[in-house]
Amino acid sequence: MYLICGTVPKKDLPLTLGVVKFLGPVISLDGVEIPCTQGTAALISAACVTAGYLRLSPPRALLVGDDGTGKGSRVLYDYLIKNISAMSPGVLLLHYMLPVMGLMKKVCESASKTKKRLFMIADAAAMYAAKAAGLAASFDVFTPDLSEMAFLADPDAMHPAYVSRHLFESDASKIPELVAAAYRHKNAAKMLMVKGSTDYIAADGKIVGTISEPDVPALEAIGGTGDTISGMAGAFICGGFRPLDAARATFRANRMAGQYAGATPATRIREIIEALPRVFDEHLEEWKKAENSS
Amino acid sequence: MVFGFTKRNNFEGGGIVLFTSVEEAIAAEKVLKAGEYETKLVAPPPDLRKGCDLALEINLVEKTGVERMLRAKNLSFLEILPVKSGSELLQVVQVTDFGGAIMVKAGNMKLTFDRGSGVILNVSGGGCPDIPYLHAEMLDKKLAEAPRPRDVGYTLCSLMLDRAFVESLDIWSNGRK
Repeated sequence: MYLICGTVPKKDLPLTLGVVKFLGPVISLDGVEIPCTQGTAALISAACVTAGYLRLSPPRALLVGDDGTGKGSRVLYDYLIKNISAMSPGVLLLHYMLPVMGLMKKVCESASKTKKRLFMIADAAAMYAAKAAGLAASFDVFTPDLSEMAFLADPDAMHPAYVSRHLFESDASKIPELVAAAYRHKNAAKMLMVKGSTDYIAADGKIVGTISEPDVPALEAIGGTGDTISGMAGAFICGGFRPLDAARATFRANRMAGQYAGATPATRIREIIEALPRVFDEHLEEWKKAENSS
Repeated sequence: MVFGFTKRNNFEGGGIVLFTSVEEAIAAEKVLKAGEYETKLVAPPPDLRKGCDLALEINLVEKTGVERMLRAKNLSFLEILPVKSGSELLQVVQVTDFGGAIMVKAGNMKLTFDRGSGVILNVSGGGCPDIPYLHAEMLDKKLAEAPRPRDVGYTLCSLMLDRAFVESLDIWSNGRK
């Protein structure tokens, strides 16, 4: 089971668990429609499209409304602490939620009690909470952008807003150094997927892959293009891809979808997601063959 | 399947509110607890000590909402700081020119607006729960008419988005002169 957990900007949505469907303008969870916009909804949309293409069961989602007060996030943490061990999803992805270090520690404690070890991915503020609580190494994948990579490299920062200025001002050429620092301070997951003008894949402190084509600079401006990366990666992992292969396929697909959608700074994330099936149709087999022969 | 809301779990903050007097600290704790913020009265760490000997530990990420609530109740405080000394809130912004659009980045947040009309085209980055909400509230609005993230959001991500918003407004206003 691929379980995606996060908050959505629908304040009155109680904690809801169910199978999610991507319906284009919206995702549907237990009859509730949530607009496919930046955040966990974009992540789920990309995960659904990828899982559908791979003929996997659709992802399940555990979502709650939260407008930033953290009330919904705390309910979500509470449910995970009590139930994640019994649910035992194969892949657990934690996304938009108020970072609360003490609660994230308890979630990780509960997750460690499953019979079969979970594959754990964190993005957005779930990643901030995991790093700030000293739990990064409990996770299999983090998906930071450049500013978040600087946050992981900074041993003292509790949130990317408090990153040291010299680290924040690092350009993309410094990513290998930031990666090394993050691993040195034990603030990195087993694999890092660093999204940017060049995407970097790091494992055990070393850069193990880079993807830079096609170059679509506008992707950085489009809200949700990082979320789609996390959602796709989780689906590929569920589909049996090795983590490194999943990371490569994800980065390539995201870029190619941006190109197919003719991305500009005004493009909406839904347009990128809707281009994914064509990308998979035209390229996924070729990428898989290339991975198998390498 | 829908679940009900249940009671809270343990609290671990990372931020501290400093006050001039013990009375201010106690009053602030009462107000924040009533507002369902998790807080704890603590002695400020020696290297952060200013004002009185009582401080409030908060979840640092909730700085924006905490500040707004204290100000709304006319409660004075000296400063909100991270417990770990040496960290400062990022002040720097970076600007990317896409030609017809300009992207302003502050911390982990990016705001992109149309150079000609000043309409907000996209908001990206971040990870706290108020960001998707702000994204929906701000998109397609002119910078001069959009809500300020600081006034609507609750978290440090919204504070960074506010920095990007203010800089964007400044760039756009100056570009029109």
